[in-house]
Amino acid sequence: MVLTDIATGFANVLDPLILTLMVVGVLLGILMGSIPGMTATMTIAVLLSFTFTLEPATGMMLLLGIYGGAVYAGSIPAILIRTPGTPSAAATIFDGYPLSKKGEAGRAIRVSTVASFVGGIISVLALMFLSPVIANAALEFRSPEFFALSVFGLTIIASVSGDSVPKGMISGLLGMLIATIGIDPITGYQRFTFDIPNLMGGIEFIAVMIGLFGIAEGLRKYAQGINDEQDKPDQNITGVLPSLSDMKSIAPISIGSGIVGSLIGAIPGAGGDIASFITYNEATRWLKNTTPSFGDGNIRGVAAAESGNNASTGGALIPTFTLGIPGDSVSALLIGALMVHNVNPGPGLYEDESGLLYTIFVGFLLIYVIILVFGLLGANYWARLINIPQAYLWPVIFVLCAIGAIALSGTVFNAWVMVAAGILGFVMRLRGYPLAPMVLGLILAPIAEENLRRSLEISGGSVDIFYTSPIALTVLLLSIATIAVPAIRAVRN
Amino acid sequence: MVLHKFKSNPLAAVFILVSIVVIASANQFPDGSNLGPGFFPIIVSVGIIAFGIVDILVDDDTQLEMSNFSMTPAVIMFAFLVGYLLLMPITGFLVGTMLFLPIALYYSTVRSKLMIALISIGLPILLFYVFGRIFMVRLPEGIIPISRLLPQLPM
Repeated sequence: MVLTDIATGFANVLDPLILTLMVVGVLLGILMGSIPGMTATMTIAVLLSFTFTLEPATGMMLLLGIYGGAVYAGSIPAILIRTPGTPSAAATIFDGYPLSKKGEAGRAIRVSTVASFVGGIISVLALMFLSPVIANAALEFRSPEFFALSVFGLTIIASVSGDSVPKGMISGLLGMLIATIGIDPITGYQRFTFDIPNLMGGIEFIAVMIGLFGIAEGLRKYAQGINDEQDKPDQNITGVLPSLSDMKSIAPISIGSGIVGSLIGAIPGAGGDIASFITYNEATRWLKNTTPSFGDGNIRGVAAAESGNNASTGGALIPTFTLGIPGDSVSALLIGALMVHNVNPGPGLYEDESGLLYTIFVGFLLIYVIILVFGLLGANYWARLINIPQAYLWPVIFVLCAIGAIALSGTVFNAWVMVAAGILGFVMRLRGYPLAPMVLGLILAPIAEENLRRSLEISGGSVDIFYTSPIALTVLLLSIATIAVPAIRAVRN
Repeated sequence: MVLHKFKSNPLAAVFILVSIVVIASANQFPDGSNLGPGFFPIIVSVGIIAFGIVDILVDDDTQLEMSNFSMTPAVIMFAFLVGYLLLMPITGFLVGTMLFLPIALYYSTVRSKLMIALISIGLPILLFYVFGRIFMVRLPEGIIPISRLLPQLPM
């Protein structure tokens, strides 16, 4: 059955439009990922509107191309100028930049490309073969389990996506509160709409995401100084393929980091940055007494970090597709892109839309092949993208944000929602509040509310229903632990 | 001491105040105290208040990075953006964007007149064709629908 679905997926992705959009997505991702400060999340948020009128699978190929391309390309400025293009590439600096200083930037980029490919492919295979098993188990879940999972998703992202758990929780709960605006899904009562017709259908969460990741990020950039001079890379990248000895040297660590990165990516909230730090750290534990040592330009350090962060991309899609709980902020945006087409991620997706899912899975595999080919062939060109002045980019991004919000309903109202979210996100980030939990809160609120109320109605208002279900109880205890453990640690310190 | 903490973390205090207003408002909903439409917003607001108080008590603003920031450019760019959207019902998307881009680019220190002209004219037209003509999105036309003068695509 799975093999038939995979074969159908292969047939679907060979459509010329899908192939073209994959290539376009990868190129856009590499372009934006190569420029420090331009994250995959921001790029996808800004360009999401281009997929509204496309078929769901076709649109997803563009977005996944951007996702994979940007996470890979973040390593290029990390290696060349010691500035990660995306947060996921921060750990790549440790060994990538010392290699660059030794005049081996080309070698580091080639190793990074191959390791990204290995990590990405492992994660998509995990997604392809592991997620149907999880989805099948999740079909048995009822309201208490789904409520518990939504609470777990929120608490874990709040605890991993910033320095402060209370700030993360506030951000997530604010997202949930914003999501309650509009018609109550159970009684049909209008909540917090203030008789504004545009609010009756609820806040368009894609507009909020564009504001949080596009406008807020842009304003932050202007506050930091748009003319920050970057160090200019002074190395020409020559050659295409890594040497055979380098390939042999990085193969085991790339595969190991790919497996670990996929598992970490599958934890809601633990994105590529956490995955790459953990896989890099594990590499230093696994491979002791290496020459050169880690931190002095060891190619296996680059491979571990890059395989780990790219592996998180497929891993993050596991909870996204199987449970409807985003693995990171990019997958929250992907949920938004699917919901525009009335496709609701969750275990039912594997029964109702298996053709779409396997097209996405196979397409994501192919995207990593495209990344490998373009990454190796174009390394010298991508290295020059770092020099694109940001002064040209941000005004254009603001316009893309505006048209993205307007395209949601053809009115300027959603552009105002975007602006409001942008200013809120800007102020919150200034005060150290992470924004990813807010996005997760927006996505999880309907799941949490509906299942909480339904559970309590079934139990006649008794909370027994949550601890008589072993799964719900376990997940809720884990949620409490994710908040309590850092709190206890903080008190002890 | 507590007052000082509130002052040093005004955003958490604002979130707490908003949550109190939400609770008061949600209590007015039918079945507000039960499992009605107010139930979930109240629970969420109580959560914000609880974590907000903890945040105020443990917040350490020495970790903030605001000292590296200059707010003026962000405020000015935000004002341009607000002006752009405010005028859009009058100017329409096409003309409004053609007005916004040169101002924003120039403010962002782009000085090449050719690049400013190319981006400010080329991008709005490109986006208009992609969204308005290919994706069939209804973009604001303004009081003078200049965009209708653009030729149709041969498809």
